[in-house]
Amino acid sequence: MALRCVVVTPERNQLDREAEYVSLPMFDGELGVMQGRSPMIGRLGFGTMRLQTAAGPERYYIDGGFAHVEDNVVNVLTGKAVPVDLLDAEEAREALAAALELPSNSPEETQLKASAVMRARGQLRAAR
Amino acid sequence: MANARALDKRRKSIRNIRKITRTMELIATARYKKAMDRAHAVTAYTDRLSQIVSSLAAAGTEVDHPLLQPRENPKAVRVLVLSSNRGLCGGYNAGVLRATMPRIQELESSIGSVSVDVSGKRGINGLKFRGVETAENYTQFEDQPAYDEVEKIASGYLEQYITGQFDRLDVIYTKFISTSRQIATIETLLPFGSFDEEISGAGASEDSSSQSQFEFLPTAQSILEEVVPTSFKAKLFKCFLDAAVSEQVARMIAMKGATESAGDMINQLSMTYNRARQSQITGEIMEIIGGVEALKS
Repeated sequence: MALRCVVVTPERNQLDREAEYVSLPMFDGELGVMQGRSPMIGRLGFGTMRLQTAAGPERYYIDGGFAHVEDNVVNVLTGKAVPVDLLDAEEAREALAAALELPSNSPEETQLKASAVMRARGQLRAAR
Repeated sequence: MANARALDKRRKSIRNIRKITRTMELIATARYKKAMDRAHAVTAYTDRLSQIVSSLAAAGTEVDHPLLQPRENPKAVRVLVLSSNRGLCGGYNAGVLRATMPRIQELESSIGSVSVDVSGKRGINGLKFRGVETAENYTQFEDQPAYDEVEKIASGYLEQYITGQFDRLDVIYTKFISTSRQIATIETLLPFGSFDEEISGAGASEDSSSQSQFEFLPTAQSILEEVVPTSFKAKLFKCFLDAAVSEQVARMIAMKGATESAGDMINQLSMTYNRARQSQITGEIMEIIGGVEALKS
């Protein structure tokens, strides 16, 4: 019995399949999960989630959210999960340019800008 | 007795209308099922979120977040009204507007500064007619609101709330309870009071369920900071979905009623038409007999 990986977005249950290894894009870098991982709740960043399944590797872009690991089940809660092949590098580049243009005059604005830039960078990295 | 030909014409036009209403009913039924599936999906999402919340509560995290604290002396209120783009859905929009007007008046007298956002053409026109100024109008939400769009609105609200542009957000929408029951409800989403109930309820029920110790990355506090806005977004999205489902149900029921009463009307008209035709025939026979009688004598 390998890992079960469930990806849920508010719109639908995106993904539910068995995998041997899951690599999650955490807020500060990647985190690999294999069978028998101790229970964990973590914050996700913007980046690529990689699955090692019996049918071969799969890669998804994850748009922030949370990961919840318990009893060999990896629950990923995110606003958006897109297969990497469907991402558009050009669009991501534009988003990054737009994010860098945002104002940063107050602490709140700086924070918003930082997260927008991070999201665009994550998308760009995943799209490559 | 009315003219038989005119009656027949009317009967035909009612038959056409019945065809249209029946089709609309079928369309609404199909859309309702789709919308319902989406509503189930968001429930799966919120269930998992509250799982995380309950684990956080079980780990003894202190719940303290700027979005949760009620503000003293609120100065500005934001009201979001969710209505439909199209009509022919019974009392759906009227119900929402009827709930909206007293609330707006009450807020205006108690707090003063109220700005109203509306989604749906019917709501926009209805409020314009009642003389309410609206700030933001959205017409892009149909039977399947997209999370991306709702998230944009939600992030906008969060941003404005945190920077202090308003102190309270009320959402007026039609809550879906069952197929035969939808109620126009008013919920205060910011400050996010319902989260408090969730976390205290989850904390109480946690003792009996799983005892696993979670590792929190980076810390429970930081996760909580992220969970609160996410739950707010999910909650707002749920409001939009509920409104969409209720609209389809309302339309389905309204169109079902219309189809049925068209059928009744056709029956009644057929009876009158048959009577009129019979009396016309009788009249003609009487004339012929009268003519024959006259020739005989």
